[in-house]
Amino acid sequence: MAGASVKVAVRVRPFNSRETGRNAKCVIQMQGNTTISNPKQAKDGAKNFTFDYSYWSHTTYNVCIFAYGQTGAGKSYTMMGKQEPGQEGIIPQLCEDLFQRTGENTDPDLTYSVEVSYMEIYCERVRDLLNPKSQGTLRVREHPILGPYVEDLSKLAVTGFTDIRDLMDAGNKATVAATNMNETSSRSHAVFTIVFTQKRRDQMTSLDTEKVSKISLVDLAGSERADSSGAKGTRLKGANINKSLTTLGKVISALAEMVSHPQQSSKKRRSDFIPYRDSVLTWLLKENLGNSRTAMIAALSPADINYEETLSTL
Amino acid sequence: MASVNSDEWRAICDKFTNAQNLTDVESRNDPENDPYRSKYKARELLREIYCSLKSFDAGEGEEESGGESGEQPPTEQPVDGQREDGFGQGFSGDSPAGMRAAKLGAVEYYLGVNHVDTEELSAGQEHLMNCMKLLERCRVSSENVSLFIHVKNQLGILWAGRDETEMAQGFLETAESMYQRYMKEDGSPPTDMTEYFTSEENLLTHQERTKRFELAYTHTMYYLAQVYKNLGQTERAATYCHSTLQRQLQLNQFSPMEWALNAATLSQYYITKGRYMEGRHCLSAATVISGLAGEVPSEAAAQESETESERREHLRQKRAEIARCWIKYCLNLLQDSKKLLEDNIGELDTDRQDELKRARRREEEEEEKGRKSALLFGSEDTFDSIASLEEKVLCLFPLDFTEARSVFLVGQNYVTQAKEYFQMDGYVTDHIEILQDHSSLFRALAFFEEDLERRCKMHKRRVDMLEPICNDLNSQYYLLIRRQLMFELAETYNEMMDLKLTLANRQADTQSLDNHTIKKFNNLCSASAKYFQMFLDSLCSPEGKFPEVLEEEVLRPALVARFRVARLHSRLISSVPPIQLENLNRSLENYKYVVQYCEAHPEAAGAAETELELSKEMVGLLPLKINRLKARMAANN
Repeated sequence: MAGASVKVAVRVRPFNSRETGRNAKCVIQMQGNTTISNPKQAKDGAKNFTFDYSYWSHTTYNVCIFAYGQTGAGKSYTMMGKQEPGQEGIIPQLCEDLFQRTGENTDPDLTYSVEVSYMEIYCERVRDLLNPKSQGTLRVREHPILGPYVEDLSKLAVTGFTDIRDLMDAGNKATVAATNMNETSSRSHAVFTIVFTQKRRDQMTSLDTEKVSKISLVDLAGSERADSSGAKGTRLKGANINKSLTTLGKVISALAEMVSHPQQSSKKRRSDFIPYRDSVLTWLLKENLGNSRTAMIAALSPADINYEETLSTL
Repeated sequence: MASVNSDEWRAICDKFTNAQNLTDVESRNDPENDPYRSKYKARELLREIYCSLKSFDAGEGEEESGGESGEQPPTEQPVDGQREDGFGQGFSGDSPAGMRAAKLGAVEYYLGVNHVDTEELSAGQEHLMNCMKLLERCRVSSENVSLFIHVKNQLGILWAGRDETEMAQGFLETAESMYQRYMKEDGSPPTDMTEYFTSEENLLTHQERTKRFELAYTHTMYYLAQVYKNLGQTERAATYCHSTLQRQLQLNQFSPMEWALNAATLSQYYITKGRYMEGRHCLSAATVISGLAGEVPSEAAAQESETESERREHLRQKRAEIARCWIKYCLNLLQDSKKLLEDNIGELDTDRQDELKRARRREEEEEEKGRKSALLFGSEDTFDSIASLEEKVLCLFPLDFTEARSVFLVGQNYVTQAKEYFQMDGYVTDHIEILQDHSSLFRALAFFEEDLERRCKMHKRRVDMLEPICNDLNSQYYLLIRRQLMFELAETYNEMMDLKLTLANRQADTQSLDNHTIKKFNNLCSASAKYFQMFLDSLCSPEGKFPEVLEEEVLRPALVARFRVARLHSRLISSVPPIQLENLNRSLENYKYVVQYCEAHPEAAGAAETELELSKEMVGLLPLKINRLKARMAANN
């Protein structure tokens, strides 16, 4: 794998599990010759990192991979790898298995589709990297049935890993860092999502069942860069004082939290005030984080959609 | 002193302007691999200015140690920011020595800031301290006070960055007292730092000087707020945040929506401390000031333009968030009042009510005095609007139904407002939280309602509001919210069931109830049990297996739910023995679970002490009841 400065944390949750808030804490060990680095030990764990992708085929998974490390430190190598055999990164390995599965399918009742989206979250705004014409930012919304989603985010169909790589490259060119050299993209997070849908038609009932799996690659490159470039401290760490009055709101909010923190039950805190929503990223990925806003790792829950049921609910 | 019109002086002024430009403007374009390029250039220029100034001194023959018409500079004082009395000793601020000190001090200041910006803290500190030393030889005057405050602010920030909070506090507090004393004893618009190296034509207006000076002091307030926060002195910190906000309004240095949100956030601090008068004031100001942000662009306008669309979104959202803060205000006021008035079984204690009413008459007079001493927000235009908004809602604890209802109605009004923006389709979590608050408002109001029938109707409103939502939400994405709703519905149905029973004037046995009432009672009882059970089922694995070990977050709710299911089943009314038996068995099963789980996991016992105690009793008693029933059933066959 890539050099020590790249850390990868993976959280994989099996399909149809109804675990929720617990997910942020534990990582499931897959069977067979697989090891997953425990996110907490990501520092040393990153080196011995392999997947047994054949496990992927038997069930559907949702994977959310967070990668944080300085750009150029080999993060993209870890994720994407080189084209030479044996040097593929995580994504190509996953995709290879994915497309192998779809290619091998001979069952007429079973169809597959793979779609990708690529968005960037910068200064709490979401941009669609696959739609270069889109001017403004996209809104993040919640739907009662469909859950959190990004409104109008492009979803492009792909038929092979080359497509995926090309789209990723194209998207990278549209990032804030790429288009504006002087902007410190220290707080920009890119999320590349591959949605893998298996649709099975039941001949007897003519009902379609869909199983949807998602791989989300979250790039948190900026966090370290902010340190080295000497970005002026706008963080509220320790005893630091923020220079600018624009942070007044955060200071006040912290005061309110300090007061209610000693209360034992979180119920009291929740009923007392509006949380200061300061992160679109966590909000998007918070589906099963519950009230926790600090969990770094999130697993996106799978959606087992039965058309009949959905229609009647809607 | 060099003549103001000399070429050399011009050159210095130009250099200074260049240095400013490099620092403020050019530096933004510095490449990432050389981010301080412009600042290094600026530094060079500043150094040159410093040398030139020093050489002027040499040229003019005026030595610092030389006599200055009888005035001696003060002896070296410890420059740790503790020295307050800059007002008595030293060179006069507008004397040549004083002016020279100020100019040199200014250069040292800019050099200091330059080094800090380029992460060279020690060098920065040195220059800033040099600036201080220079200024401390002078008396505080309009020529140097602004610079003085600025340099103390900077030193405060610097020491805070080193985790030396008390040092920071020292500098900032002396800046504070210096400002206050200056305003008291002098108050004229002081020279701004940028003016030391400008030509006559470019000097600032009095208005502009005042504005910048006041802004510097506002920052002093803000930095002190942060220092006190870091020292854990939250109350003081809140006061300073309040002052900061107040000053922003008075000096017209604010952006309306941002200010409004900050005031609303501050209100939440006050509310958590139970200081409703201040909280109400903050919220009223927030509402009034948010109105200054302008009209919301129409939907049509938003369709046309991206900027208008964003602006519409932004304004509507922030105003809705302020509405939500109001909801919390009303809700907390009602809930705190309930805590004051309730007796040990959760009903309104009329004695305490009378007592508090008497006490309040005395308090109202105090309130007036309190108001004056409290920090009021606003300016001439806004004082009245803020006051009129405050008059619409109580800040004292409501002590009877009429008062509680008035608070409830204000809260309900804000619920409607907030829901307009936070609609279900798009903002599920927020929408539901608003509904939960609405439900809590009803619950709090119900406490004050004496008529049990009406009380029951209020709980029914809660059920009607929450039940459809609970069932319609995607159970995977919104599991935690659904669980909260299930629990609340279960408890509400339980509450209604108890009320129905009380209404029917139930005696020890159930014979006296008519069938209609029994049916109603059972329905409510079952509904409550159903939702507790639903909550428990939500903890199961996909295969339907209840967890062996209950996680911390769900431990208490799970044990309570089990207990309640047990209790509800034992209260179901039936005249059919097999059904009675089934109910009792279900009841026993759940009581047993509680006891057995706490035996297997002793650490869990603390989570539901009362429930455990009662469960143990019931596990002892119920089998007897069951056996009696079985015996009767056998005898009748």
